[in-house]
This record gives sequence, C-alpha cells and structure tokens, in this order.
Amino acid sequence: MRILLVEDEKKVADIIVRGLKAERFAVDVANDGGGGWDLAAAYDYDLIILDVMLPGLGGGEILQRIRSKNQLVPILMLTARDAMADKVKMFEAGADDYLTKPFAFAELLLRVKALLRRGPVNRSSVLRVADLEIDRLSQNVKRAGKKIDLTSKEYALLEYLATNPGRVFSRTMIIEHVWDQSFQGLTNIVDVYVRHLREKVDDPFPVKLLRTVRGVGYSLNDGAQV
Amino acid sequence: MNFRSISFRLVVWYTSLLTGIFLLLGTLFYFGLQHFVRTDMEHGQFHRARQIADTLLAHLPITGESALAGEIKTLYGPEINNRVIRLCRADGTVIYLSGRPADGSFNPAEVPAFYPHPDVDSSRKFNLTGGKIMLVVLVNYQAPNGDRYTVESGALMDPVEAMLNHLFIQLALCLPLAVLIIAGGGWLLVRRALQPVEQITRAAEQITQLNTSERMPVAQTGDELEKLSLSLNRMIARLDDALRNSTRFVADASHELRTPLTILHGELEMLAEDPQLPEEKRDRIFSILEEVSGLGKIVEQLFALSRLDAGESQTEWQSLDLAELARTTADQISLLAEDKHIVITCDAPQPVLIEGDRARLKQVVVNLLDNAIKYTPDNGAVQLSVNALNGHAILEVSDNGIGIPREALPHVFERFFRVDQSRSSDSFSAGLGLSIVKSICTAHGAEVQVQSTLRQGSCFRVKFTLEKN
Repeated sequence: MRILLVEDEKKVADIIVRGLKAERFAVDVANDGGGGWDLAAAYDYDLIILDVMLPGLGGGEILQRIRSKNQLVPILMLTARDAMADKVKMFEAGADDYLTKPFAFAELLLRVKALLRRGPVNRSSVLRVADLEIDRLSQNVKRAGKKIDLTSKEYALLEYLATNPGRVFSRTMIIEHVWDQSFQGLTNIVDVYVRHLREKVDDPFPVKLLRTVRGVGYSLNDGAQV
Repeated sequence: MNFRSISFRLVVWYTSLLTGIFLLLGTLFYFGLQHFVRTDMEHGQFHRARQIADTLLAHLPITGESALAGEIKTLYGPEINNRVIRLCRADGTVIYLSGRPADGSFNPAEVPAFYPHPDVDSSRKFNLTGGKIMLVVLVNYQAPNGDRYTVESGALMDPVEAMLNHLFIQLALCLPLAVLIIAGGGWLLVRRALQPVEQITRAAEQITQLNTSERMPVAQTGDELEKLSLSLNRMIARLDDALRNSTRFVADASHELRTPLTILHGELEMLAEDPQLPEEKRDRIFSILEEVSGLGKIVEQLFALSRLDAGESQTEWQSLDLAELARTTADQISLLAEDKHIVITCDAPQPVLIEGDRARLKQVVVNLLDNAIKYTPDNGAVQLSVNALNGHAILEVSDNGIGIPREALPHVFERFFRVDQSRSSDSFSAGLGLSIVKSICTAHGAEVQVQSTLRQGSCFRVKFTLEKN
C-alpha cells in the first residue's frame, strides 16, 4: 500500500511517516503544494493525506486537481480549522474524510485504515472478538455463550470498538460516533460508559477485553495481545 | 412622560421665562396706562378750571354773575360732556352749579365740597351714592379787586375705569392662552430638534459585539448632532477594531497551537509504543499525553469561542423544537447523572419552536446539564424544563447542588473563571463551558441568567425568542 502525504510541517510529517511505516505502509512525502501535486500526478497512490494549509499551492486546490484526474483515490484532509463551512466545502470538493489538528496518531491510523478498507468493509452481521460475539442484526451480545444486556448507547460503543479490534479509538472519535459533536466538551461521558460496559463485559470474566490507553482512548483487544 | 428629559426641561424653562416676561410687560403696560389715563384726566380738569377762572371770573365784574351760566354752557357744555362745574365765593356761596348731565349718571348737587378748604389747587376723588367715583379738581382764584373764588371741575371716572377693567380682562385671558401656545409649540419644536437624538439612541442600542461593523445613520445637517453621530461612529470603529484584534488574536493563538500540539501528541504516542520502555516511564508519558489531550481540548474550545465572537455565519440555522432537543439531550446525558445517583427530570411537554443552529443549541443544553451534574453532590436532583411564555422560549436547568457564592455570580460566564480552584477535580474543564453557553446564546439573540443560593442550588435560565409563524 502506497500513501502520499502532503504536509508542510516537517515534524508533523515526520511523525506520520514513522507511524505509517511502522504499520508497513510505503509513504512518499511532499512538503509543499507544488511538490505534492507533482507526485500525485506522477504516481498512482492508494491513499493521499493532504494538509489544507500549504505554502504555494493550497490543499483545496490540489484536492480539486486530483479529483479532476482521479475520482477514486481516497483523500484524507488534515485541517487546523474546524469551521462547519470549511468541512462542507471539503466534502463538496471530494474529500473522503478529515481530521482536525491536534489529533492523536492512533486516530489518523484508524481513519487511514478505514479509508483503505472502504471497498470490502467488514459488513458481516456477527462481530467476534475473542469469546465476545456481537450480532449486529438483533443487537444481541454474548460472551462465552452468556447473553449480556446492554443499553443502546453501551451497545453502540461496544460495536464501534469491535469494528476494529486492537485499534485505539480516541475519545473524540467515540463521542462523534456514539453521540454527536455537542458532547465534545465532556469527554468523561465516554469514561463513564466504558466503565459501565466493563462492569458487564469484563468484570464477570477472567480475561479483560477493554483496554484504556491513557491520553489517547480505548480499544477492544482480543485478549491474546496484552 | 420623563420629567428629566431634555425636551421637558427645555419647554418648562422657556415657558416659565416667557410667562415671566409676559407678566412683567403686561403689568407695566397696564399700570402705565392706568397712570397715564388718570393723570391725563386730571390735567384736563385743571386746565378747564383755570380757563374758567382766567377768562370768566376775571371778567365777572363786567359781565355779572347772571351771564355766567350761559357762558359756561356755551363754552364748556358740562351737561353734554357729563361733567360738573361749580363756582363758589370764598365764603362757600355757590354762584354757579352745572345741571344734571345728559346721561343722568350723577346728581351735581351731591358732589361734596372740599373740606377743609385747600389753599392750593388740588384734586380729590369722591365716592358718590351708587358707588360711583368722581374726580374733582379745585382751583383758587383771586380777582384783581381782591375777591376770592374757587372753581371746581369734575367728571366721573367710570369710563376710564371701565376701559382699564376691560384691558385687564383681555390681558388676563390672553396670557394663559399665549402660554399654552408657547408651551405646545415649544414642545413640538424641541421634539423635532431632538428627534435625531432619539434615532441615534435607538441605533446605538442596536449595536452589540456581533454587529460592530454596522454604523449609525448620519443626518447631513451640519449641526451638533451630525458631529455627535460621526464621533460615535468613530468610537464604534475603534471598538470594532479592538474587538476584531482580540478575536483574531484568540483565533490565531489557538490555531498556532494546533501544530505543536499535534507534534507533541504524536511524538509521545510513538515514545509510549517503545517496548523497551520501563513501565514507570511509560506511565509518566501517558500522564503527559493526558495533559496534552486536555490542552488540545482547551485550544479547541477557545477556537470555538473566537468563532462565535466573530459572529459565525447563520447558515446552519433552522426551525427546531427546543423541548424535543432538551428531552433527547437529557436522555443521552442521563448516565452521567446516574453515575452520581442524581435524578434528572425533564419537564418539556409541549413543542416549543425556535430558530437556531441545532448542534450549537444542543451544546448549550449539554454544557448546562454537565455543569449542574458536576456541582451537585451524589443523590441530588437536576431539573430541566422548556416552556413557552409571553412570546419567549424559556429553558431552565436547576439543581440542588452546592450553589454559587453571591460575589461569584456576575463572573460565572467569564472565560477561565472558576468559583474555587479546588472545586473541580476535572483538570480539563478549563472554565470555558459556561462562556461557550453565553456566546452561543448571544449569537442566538438569547439571554442567559443565573440565580443561586449557596448550598441550596443554582438555576440557569435561557430566554429565546419564539419562532414567528
């Protein structure tokens, strides 16, 4: 998998490149808009990560140029602005996803993987993590064959974490997915729900599946990794 | 009516001034005329009496007393002119007395003699029967042969007094009328002159931090009011500048902090991934990561605030049911409350339609509920209600928590304000939640108020304008 990163902040680019390489992606980096466009025009990438604010050619301009040439490549925008109008503009111009700075690398990785897997998404009706079974149709959750009763929010949270076992989900992502942006200010709501979920999913069992990654978020592990 | 208004005071001042001047002029005029008319009448009588003395009495030895009556009648006609003329010798014997006047207004015989007899020419007023007043003058005359006579000439003062009375009544009637006209006309004039001031006041009231780019209307009159509106406009421009600068500063600062925070976060994440790292160091890195996340949150909130301050566009506005929004939010947040065994009751039975940005308004409800839950001890109660009242939508969040000290109440909506640093154990709530509430409410033209009693609870009340149908 080959990824193009267009980011003018060297240190930010450096972190992303190191992180993605550790995940066995091939990464090309351009530090300005012109260079980014040259690379995007010359090679076929599986994914392009594009900063909005770039010296020379802006991220928005590159986005339009790429889209006029290639409709299919997934594009993730990095932005320091989160005004609603900007987001709408980005999606209209053909961006597939966006991430607002400051972000956790774990979150970037998750979005990158989601975009790359976009074709064959895991749409199976039953998600399995270790001995946990989540039936997406009936919304039934079982662990070691025993049925667990969850509230709808608890279920939504668990299902979200189970879509990508082992991956860390930031509190921001969880809030946006399970609640909505209005709850952004109170991240402790995630902690409370995770605690309730733990009481039901983990406490009665010897192997703990829910893992807290301090300062980043939560993940659902298959037990073997820890 | 406002008795302290400039228009009222101006009218009162100049009406009383003009009334005073009118009164003074009227009094001077009346008494001046009275004096003139009376002295004129007296002079006329003296003049006549002296003429009679100098002409008729001087010739008395030649013409004889018998011819006197005829001559006086021919020359002076006292009866026709309603006058009385009496000639006496020094001993008081009357040698001539005019007859009854043509209008019969008095009886000459009733006119009393001067007593005591004056040695010099003099005038007196006598009251006749019937209340009439008569002015009589007396002139002494000594004939060349040594005989002494007195000539009296008199007339009723009634016509003069009647004229004066008439004048007095006219003046007394005209003055209040004039005052009324002056006051009314003055009121209209002042109102008209001050009309631009009213307009300036209204325009100034309209200017808030959200529309500092607007200016007041300037009437090209070249007067003081044009100068006033121009200087007000210049002042608004300076305020506008200052506000923009401060908003831009917050926006720029929070924006500039994003990249270094991203780098910090990323580097720390990478560090923590290192499998060689001892557990204790990893723990410290995670602790720093938590702080960096918190910082990121504050930066985000500051940025959101600066956008609200800058008067974020209203493109997201739509009609929405505040009651439904409150119910949903209360439901979504209920677990936070349950965690502290706090009961949230939501009283929003009727749909209450307002216009606004749904996501932002939801944030208002979320922040107010979160705040209430945070400052209410375990087993407490939080109440949320939405009602329509007198064309307003009232959203109320009340709790029976620890309350806010009186001296802190005016500051709770200020940025980074905390009643007590030790109150909050949550280090990432920077004290921006309520300022965000306030900013969103201001952007929606809503008013937010707080009431609180220490140790008994607080109540936050937001007043929106109902959607117009």
